[in-house]
Amino acid sequence: MTIRKVLIFTPILVILFLLQSYFWVPTYEQQSRGNPDRLNEYITASIGDASILNPILSADSASGDINSMVFEGLIDRDEELRFRGRLATSWEVFEEAFFYINESASIPGVDTARAEEVVDFLRKPKKDNGVSDPQLKACLDNIREIAVIPHREFLITKREKDPKNSKKEIEVKVHVKAPARVKLTLTAVDQDLFKNLTQLLGETYFTSFRGERYLSTDPPVEKEKLAAYAREFVPATEHNPILIFHLRPDVHFHDGHVFDANDVKFTYESIMNPRNLSPRIADYEPVKAVEVIDPLTAKIVYKRLYSPAIGTWGMGILPEHLLNQEALKREALRLGKDPEKFSMRQSGFNRHPIGCGPFVFQEWKSDQYIVLDQLNRYWEGPPNYKSYIYRIIPDPLTQEMEFYAGTIDNYGVQPHQVQRLKNDPTYQSFSGPSFGYTYIGYNMRREPFNDYRVRIALGMAIDVNKIIQYVLHGQGEQITGPFVKQTDYYNHSIKPLPYDPGRALELLAEAGWTRNKEGRLEKDGKPFQFTLITNSGNDLRKAILTIAQDSWKQIGIDVRTDLLEWAVFIQERVDKADFDALILGWSMGIEPDLYQIWHSSQTNPYQLNFVGFKNKEADELIIKIRQEYDHNIQVEYCHRLHEIIAREQPYTFLYVSKWTAILDKRIVIKEVDEKGNVIYKQIQPTKTGTYTFYFNKWIKLPEVPTFALEG
Amino acid sequence: MLSFIGRSIIQKIITLFFVSIVSFLIIHLAPGKPSQVDPLNPKFTPEMVERFRKEFHLDKPLHVQYLLFYRDLFTGKTASWKDNQPVLKKIWERFLNSLPLFIVGTILTWTLSFPIGIRSAISRGGFYDRSATFFSYLLISIPGFFFAYILIIFVVNTFHVPVIGMETFGIGDPSWPRWAMDRVWHLLLPSVLGATGGIAVLSRYVRSQMLEVESQDYVRTAMAKGVPPEQVHYKHALRNALLPFVTMFGLILPGLIGGSVIIESIFSWPGMGRMAYEAILARDYPVILTVNFVSAVLVLAGTFISDILYMVVDPRIRL
Repeated sequence: MTIRKVLIFTPILVILFLLQSYFWVPTYEQQSRGNPDRLNEYITASIGDASILNPILSADSASGDINSMVFEGLIDRDEELRFRGRLATSWEVFEEAFFYINESASIPGVDTARAEEVVDFLRKPKKDNGVSDPQLKACLDNIREIAVIPHREFLITKREKDPKNSKKEIEVKVHVKAPARVKLTLTAVDQDLFKNLTQLLGETYFTSFRGERYLSTDPPVEKEKLAAYAREFVPATEHNPILIFHLRPDVHFHDGHVFDANDVKFTYESIMNPRNLSPRIADYEPVKAVEVIDPLTAKIVYKRLYSPAIGTWGMGILPEHLLNQEALKREALRLGKDPEKFSMRQSGFNRHPIGCGPFVFQEWKSDQYIVLDQLNRYWEGPPNYKSYIYRIIPDPLTQEMEFYAGTIDNYGVQPHQVQRLKNDPTYQSFSGPSFGYTYIGYNMRREPFNDYRVRIALGMAIDVNKIIQYVLHGQGEQITGPFVKQTDYYNHSIKPLPYDPGRALELLAEAGWTRNKEGRLEKDGKPFQFTLITNSGNDLRKAILTIAQDSWKQIGIDVRTDLLEWAVFIQERVDKADFDALILGWSMGIEPDLYQIWHSSQTNPYQLNFVGFKNKEADELIIKIRQEYDHNIQVEYCHRLHEIIAREQPYTFLYVSKWTAILDKRIVIKEVDEKGNVIYKQIQPTKTGTYTFYFNKWIKLPEVPTFALEG
Repeated sequence: MLSFIGRSIIQKIITLFFVSIVSFLIIHLAPGKPSQVDPLNPKFTPEMVERFRKEFHLDKPLHVQYLLFYRDLFTGKTASWKDNQPVLKKIWERFLNSLPLFIVGTILTWTLSFPIGIRSAISRGGFYDRSATFFSYLLISIPGFFFAYILIIFVVNTFHVPVIGMETFGIGDPSWPRWAMDRVWHLLLPSVLGATGGIAVLSRYVRSQMLEVESQDYVRTAMAKGVPPEQVHYKHALRNALLPFVTMFGLILPGLIGGSVIIESIFSWPGMGRMAYEAILARDYPVILTVNFVSAVLVLAGTFISDILYMVVDPRIRL
């Protein structure tokens, strides 16, 4: 019967036709089926789309990923996290230090002295080799040149709030009659220079200098204001670290324009230009000036000692010829927009970037993908991959499926999947600690957290390993202090607090807290009671909250918990330091500058040292660390600081989480030796855990290669 | 006959007019604003918002906006607020993407449902009928997105092939048959998924219709006079059971434009349904209203066609 046959066979035929197409589709094993170019493409995926492809304006990670491929900085960090030259071939760091002649101070053995006399006085011990103190000798040897800047006068106009009417601004003319100044050129940056010089010039030579005496203002201002002006315009001493970059010759932007020092200067100026609203402005605030010495030399002068500043030159360099004032004006006129209001933020450049990185921007389809192509004339040799494709896939499950199907080359594994995927022979996997940690912070202004024994006891009562094992599925590592664990700054000799509730009770007893009949901890009849808070919406923190509460209850502490919405949590509780204890996390950079989080001057409301940690030695170390330009000395200071913080336990440091990524096993490192032989190597993560470090050498092979045992 | 057609067309035009008013009002009553004029959107300054309001005629009274919108629609000038593309062109592109899904899904649904339903009706209460009933209700009750995910995970984990999107990402420029087959493969899962729900529902209707007809005297007569059972079921009975499906067939037409929001979203299929959904999220009024209007036209056209078909199949209507 025909009708029946038609009704049954039509769908069967349709389905068979659909099914047979399976044999035409590339599978994970045969990704190049019908498309040999697939091996030359690297496809990766991101949850969110990029927003602005301009390294000085972008703030999201997707834009950052693309910018790091298209743009290149002067320097970056190598496998060991040391600086290495990119657009700069080499660089020098030295210092120019200044101090004003203190006419009223008496120098031991000389009495009051004028500029030339002070210079002669300083040169003498240097020449005579007559200094016995080794520290002072080293300091003097470091001085390359001494010069005098003669007395000068200048006028500065400042805009200030009108003291009578806070809404209005008035102009204050500051007339400065600066005395003569001595300029010392140092071979290496020396933060102790002036401290050592006091041995020669007298204890109070610098501190007794009164800058106010050389200022007059119109209209007259208050005393404090005048002192502030004095510190600004005639500081007794000044360190000006100087950074000179020697740039790589014959580097071109993707449009063929030659890269030179003007682009460096332009990038800096664009960041500082308030119209661009660059989120990086704070990093470059210590810069005093960027000078172009010649097209391949850029000189950066800093206002003060600030060693983390060197790292900021990893910032991608912008092409001046495409974004300068005239170029923006032309673009504005072409688009029919007001050139006065048109800034770099509105420029079409941000959707079609041109840099000098290893990959050239090709196409950006919003919410779909971004395509970059290799740069053939890249100075380090072209990357092996012909193109880099960045897909936007918001759904993690879809990402995972696309990875299994071979249409994405890497996948960031979620903690609960690690056990299953890490040992899967089909993939190669990498993992490492992330840059950041989770902690419980105690408000040290409040009883009983002002006693370090209590803080240590609280830390000992929590079994961090259990948290890592059950909450993080094993994807975490215990941490003992505030530095990034994979850097030298982290002091590995410090052991984490043991899980020892018995010892915790002993410590609490020492601090006066004893258990009563019901087993509750008490001191002078007052129960040990506090509230532990964190923000809602973070399941990990919520789990830790419960675990901490339970652990502390077991040793007799009455802990209440509270989950607060993020904005309320930060604005009402953290910023105002209105809490007993809280669970939070910090994400960190490589630089060991802890000023904002740990310095005692940062304990006021709205500042980041909200636990109220104050320690004199720590304060000194924090300042020394950010002023030290010698890596080894910095490491030494950091280890000591780490020790102090671990001893004081202002936080119970919990863990740093681990990431795991899996990659197609056919992706390998391809190198060509001098004889032209191609060598394939397995991808190895660097010491710090980054596996993409040699990305430009990666390539995908048609078959999984077998490697001899790594020697 | 002709007077019926004429009356029907006039009625439908009146309905369309009311639909256009109601949909226009509903969109404007809905909370939220187009992202270009949302004062909470940090990307736009107040003066830009003002400019957009002017450009989109949002500063005019509602009835003027209504007239302006439909004037633009009928002259083909409506453009999406999101990307300034002409709406009709956008809809046409997306429609072409959705069309293969629709065709394959419809063929599968409207062929398979009949044998399944008829056999259920014949073997009423038997093992086949019970299991068919069980599976239909299972498929009707499982949420589509859940079923889709299960299927995706199963296929990808077993066969290691891409299933998401209209084609394999990064396929490049392969030979023509490979390109076509790649697309056909990507069609498989979403269209089969779309069809399963349809088959489950439609086969139930077929079953109940057939049961009604099978108990009629003429079926018994046919059986008694020795006509082969297959001929009885598929000719005598089916023809009479078919009448209600004529109406239903007319109503699948608007499904063409509605597409399947869920399936298209899960499979990242750039079709009509996903476009309409995204337009709603972005409050892209021109796209929403145009899709709405076109689908209203299609619904009315569908009912019109089924009216006509009804007259063709059932001589009693013509009286």
